[in-house]
Amino acid sequence: MDKQTDYGTPASRNTEQQVTLDIDGHSITVAKGTSIMHAAMQAGISIPKLCATDSLEPFGSCRLCLVEIDGRRGYPASCTTPVDEGLKVHTQTPKLADIRRGVMELYISDHPLDCLTCSANGDCELQDMAGAVGLREVRYGYEGSNHLSAEKDNSNPYFQFDASKCIVCSRCVRACEETQGTFALTIQGRGFDSKVAAGNFDNFLDSECVSCGACVAACPTATLMEKTVIESGQPEHSVITTCAYCGVGCSFRAEMKGEQVVRMVPDKNGGANHGHSCVKGRFAWGYATHRDRITKPMIRKSIHDAWQEVSWEEAISYAASELQRIQSKHGRNAIGAITSSRCTNEETYLVQKLVRAAFGNNNVDTCARVCHSPTGYGLKQTLGESAGTQTFDSVMQSDVIMVIGANPTDGHPVFGSQMKRRLRQGAKLIIADPRAIDLVSGPHVQADYHLKLKPGTNVALITAMAHVVVTEGLVDEAFVKARCEWDSFQYWSEFVAQPENSPEAMEAAIGVPASDLRAAARLFATGGNAAIYYGLGVTEHSQGSTMVMGIANLAMATGNIGREGVGVNPLRGQNNVQGSCDMGSFPHEFPAIATFPTMPPAPCWKMPGADRWITSQACASPICWTLRLMVASRRCIAKVKTLPSPTPTPSM
Amino acid sequence: MHDQLARIKSHIDTHQHMAGALLPLLHAIQDDLGYIPEDCYGDIAKALNLSVAEVHGVVSFYHHFRTHAPGRHILQICRAESCQAMGSTQLEAHAKSSLGIDYHQTSPDNAVTLEAVYCLGNCACSPAIMLDDQVYGRVTPQQLSQLLAKAREVAA
Amino acid sequence: MITIYVPRDSSALSLGANQVAAAIQQEADQRQISIKLVRNGSRGMFWLEPMVEVLTVQGRVAYGPVQPEDVASLFDAGFTEGGQHALSLGLTDELPWLKRQERLTFARVGITDPVCLDDYLAHEGYRGLRNTLVQSPEAIVAQVTDSGLRGRGGAAFPTGIKWKTVMVAQAEQKYIVCNADEGDSGTYSDRMIMEGDPFVLIEGMTIAGIAVGATQGYIYVRSEYPHSIAALNLAIKEAYAAGYLGRSILGSTHDFYLEVRRAAGAYVCGEETALLESLEGKRGLVRFKPPLPAISGLFGKPTVINNVISLATVPIIMDKGSEYYRDYGMGRSRGTLPIQLAGNLKHAGLVEKAFGVTLRELLYDYGGGSASGRPIKAVQVGGPLGAYLPESQFDTPLDYEAFSKLWAVLGHGGIVAFDDTVDMAHMARYALEFCAVESCGKCTPCRIGSTRGVEVMDKVMAGTDHVQNIALLRDLSDTMLNGSLCALGGMTPYPVLSALNHFPQDFGLSEAGVNKKERAA
Repeated sequence: MDKQTDYGTPASRNTEQQVTLDIDGHSITVAKGTSIMHAAMQAGISIPKLCATDSLEPFGSCRLCLVEIDGRRGYPASCTTPVDEGLKVHTQTPKLADIRRGVMELYISDHPLDCLTCSANGDCELQDMAGAVGLREVRYGYEGSNHLSAEKDNSNPYFQFDASKCIVCSRCVRACEETQGTFALTIQGRGFDSKVAAGNFDNFLDSECVSCGACVAACPTATLMEKTVIESGQPEHSVITTCAYCGVGCSFRAEMKGEQVVRMVPDKNGGANHGHSCVKGRFAWGYATHRDRITKPMIRKSIHDAWQEVSWEEAISYAASELQRIQSKHGRNAIGAITSSRCTNEETYLVQKLVRAAFGNNNVDTCARVCHSPTGYGLKQTLGESAGTQTFDSVMQSDVIMVIGANPTDGHPVFGSQMKRRLRQGAKLIIADPRAIDLVSGPHVQADYHLKLKPGTNVALITAMAHVVVTEGLVDEAFVKARCEWDSFQYWSEFVAQPENSPEAMEAAIGVPASDLRAAARLFATGGNAAIYYGLGVTEHSQGSTMVMGIANLAMATGNIGREGVGVNPLRGQNNVQGSCDMGSFPHEFPAIATFPTMPPAPCWKMPGADRWITSQACASPICWTLRLMVASRRCIAKVKTLPSPTPTPSM
Repeated sequence: MHDQLARIKSHIDTHQHMAGALLPLLHAIQDDLGYIPEDCYGDIAKALNLSVAEVHGVVSFYHHFRTHAPGRHILQICRAESCQAMGSTQLEAHAKSSLGIDYHQTSPDNAVTLEAVYCLGNCACSPAIMLDDQVYGRVTPQQLSQLLAKAREVAA
Repeated sequence: MITIYVPRDSSALSLGANQVAAAIQQEADQRQISIKLVRNGSRGMFWLEPMVEVLTVQGRVAYGPVQPEDVASLFDAGFTEGGQHALSLGLTDELPWLKRQERLTFARVGITDPVCLDDYLAHEGYRGLRNTLVQSPEAIVAQVTDSGLRGRGGAAFPTGIKWKTVMVAQAEQKYIVCNADEGDSGTYSDRMIMEGDPFVLIEGMTIAGIAVGATQGYIYVRSEYPHSIAALNLAIKEAYAAGYLGRSILGSTHDFYLEVRRAAGAYVCGEETALLESLEGKRGLVRFKPPLPAISGLFGKPTVINNVISLATVPIIMDKGSEYYRDYGMGRSRGTLPIQLAGNLKHAGLVEKAFGVTLRELLYDYGGGSASGRPIKAVQVGGPLGAYLPESQFDTPLDYEAFSKLWAVLGHGGIVAFDDTVDMAHMARYALEFCAVESCGKCTPCRIGSTRGVEVMDKVMAGTDHVQNIALLRDLSDTMLNGSLCALGGMTPYPVLSALNHFPQDFGLSEAGVNKKERAA
């Protein structure tokens, strides 16, 4: 199984200045701020390490990565020492070998010697390092103080904590802090008694731990290990896949043994998750082989009949013939399909193509209908594209973050963690939500303003904030003049500036003190890069589209569109809401979100984004949204729905 | 119990807006109650935007902090070099044998908790001990016995 | 009105100074003699404590060591007019022990009422600050740099250079942090300053704040020093009230706020980065460097972190000029060092001398030889991480570089003497045990190495596999020395190896280091 390269420390954020140095006789040019360890790895020179891993900030505790630098005293740690112009670094000398072996001898003097039966056998950095430094004996013996009889903590359903194998590198503690942002782990005590602990609780399960698995991924030994690996042994190959749970869309390496998944490991190269995960994607994959899962085609002629296993050939031809039969009997519009935002682009594209090309109608819809169609509509009306404006990484450039009707740490945990990282770096936070979500106050997170609005007053709130921006002269006029429609802006600004839209006039209705509304609006308009993140608390209201437009208008008026760190960011329900919309899953939009022609239809194939397969019948046929489609099917107007995967009834 | 909670809450209120508030707050609680009850970690964490784990990590790091009530008196004996040079090891042995306990233990009558300390800054008057808040210099085993006897008479 | 001085210093209190003061007040009341009782700092002659002084026309006359039962006879002897008594010591200023010192940093300690601002001002206090207020930051930093003052905490880094780094750093907030976590055993000069002249520390920190542009200061004091904390808090309160702290100091454009913070029993928090972590409310783990605290210190902001003595020495430099201070000392060790004599010495106490005084002078001329009357076998200089020096090295002058040549350190200037009853193998074991007790647990060499070191020493002392375990002790020392993250693990080998090298016989080896037991076999 291929292992992902670990550079030991994160890449330097400085992309402008370059530094050239010499490591073991190789001239290496890297970005300023890079650690010597990282620079060496870029050149293929691997320096022994245990406490360093490139998902975490350097820590400098294991003391294996010491190097010699000409003209400098002592043996600096390569993980914590940044490169400098002209440095001459030696990573392998007899003295360094002595020190590393000495350190390793100490480690192993307090470590069980059960490598052959250890669950990390074959995937243990301690084992690798003992080999790398050439440790041959432990002269201290094994009778001294040790932690070998420390009890295992099996309380967590997904992973085991075996303190007897812990080398106290603190990678788990740091992962919980830096990567996940929960701070559920600590080192208890000090010195030789230092021990990883999930708070002062007896076990992991009772603690503040959210089982995201970041600690398990960070652990270099078998101390924190997936129970599936303990049961099955090390995987032998991996497949890159995308998590199907939420709108973050994390990349995973499904680590396999033959056809069996051994564990799901977040992919370091994942653009949305950068090697992080939440409990669902990481551990809740039992469905993959669950016995309830349908793995063979089945048909039944009536709801009163039992399902019968058949061949694919029979299933498909039966379905096709039935579809034709219903259409011929009840008309072309009698059938349709519902697709899902958990499907890939290819799948949703094919479903809507089946409907439009084969069924010859527009009876296709997607589950995004119920969650984010106000986003699609509202952003199309205001920004011209029915899509969010940023990548997830953009949040790392934000100075002010406004979260409206969303609960990222619960609903989009991996992005929630990234947002918390930015907040710990000092970004300001405004939350508009009736609930005291975790982001309002928690470890190292404290919202600057929690606008605890009454449900249903979103539009009033955003308009009152816009009122402050307009009436206090906080509009970015240069931006508006250059990038927006001035007449529309004036129309809007005159409206929001009306006294009845002021925070003072609206505070009773909204339930938020006018002073807080004003202060939050000022912060948003003047605090630097300001970004809005919103979720179903915006879109699943009757005024959802209006609110989305209000959000977009506020962002435009304050010049917070069009660069990193700002923007309008819908937090979607599933991992491919945007894709399924883009692929033409809505009845009123063709692929690439091409708008439906006005009646009478132009020849469809001339429309941008439309392909020749779109039949003129489809162009001419009416739009049938999911709800109508379902009602119709119950009334037996539409006779058949094809459902790729979502279960629309519960989600409505 | 209820009173204890109220006192902890008032310390939290007084300290929570200080920069780096955790240590001053923990001191205030221990000064008041004699120890830091673990069941207040949640309240401390919440007020200071920390996790319970962090509070636990800090309390368990510093030897001064204790999570259980000590005996009525705390006797600290300096184990550092200067006091060793002036006979602190005998003093140490005397304290342990006369109290019948080792370091970090409390005498069965709950009168005295014995702790080691590494320098009281009284090195010119070694050997030194600290009984509650009082430092004593050039302490002989006999003097120690007298001090302890006196302490046992008077409740702290 | 007769002025009588009874010290409030912790060591004087540990010998009964409060009881003596109470007895004097009571006796005076009974005899209807009107007295003014001043609780001064200690003069540092601890074998004479509690030392009582009486102000007479000739000057201050000293009596000591005074016990409560001596008080009546002192009154009988007319000590309020300087009358003769068995405990008479004569004029304090004429006592040779004091007279032969160069007290610059300790100029006021024992003389003034430590928590009385007027007394401080009457004794040249705040003259340094007044000079500072009319100078540019560059000029102030240059004056400190030119004085040759080096960090008195032990690292001996030039104070002015540290200040300059913070001065030129750009930041909205900067900090001055005073390291008063005087955990080194055998040292107590920080404590004596904080209890005996807290204003000089406050003044030094204020000057530092003005020099580098910092408006907030913290004094991190170990919890074992309750009297220091109390004295500092009293003095800080007075300084605020009189406009020497707070907004617009003495009407200038400079603000400086100061607060005492209490440590919680962790020796490692005397290491500057661990101290900063602790001040931030975290576990006292050592940070790696770079970045230096001067660039990214407390709460990530540029921070001057200096020892008490370094900061308390700044006012006299700003008052009398850099040359005045620089003229004392030898080589690259300029000025004076408050030396703390401790352990098995007849006259243990505080000696402030210019660098260059030898160990022998200190041990015998000042210390009066061992308290037990037996030969002095070894001295440990510079705290629990300092090397043990044998008699053959007693002529070494106190100078950072001279000590460095001997593979020893001056550290914070503490000297602990041992007579010939000491077992140096036991002391080596203790050094490792201390490291194990106080290790923060971050780096492996210190976290595991200290515990293994104690176990190896147990085997050495028991004679188990003697040759192999001596070799292992040396290898372990090498790993700790070169591999540790900070000085705790990195310097524990100093006492261990110096004991082994200078006193091999205590480790079961012959003079030349050859194993006796092996040779016998």
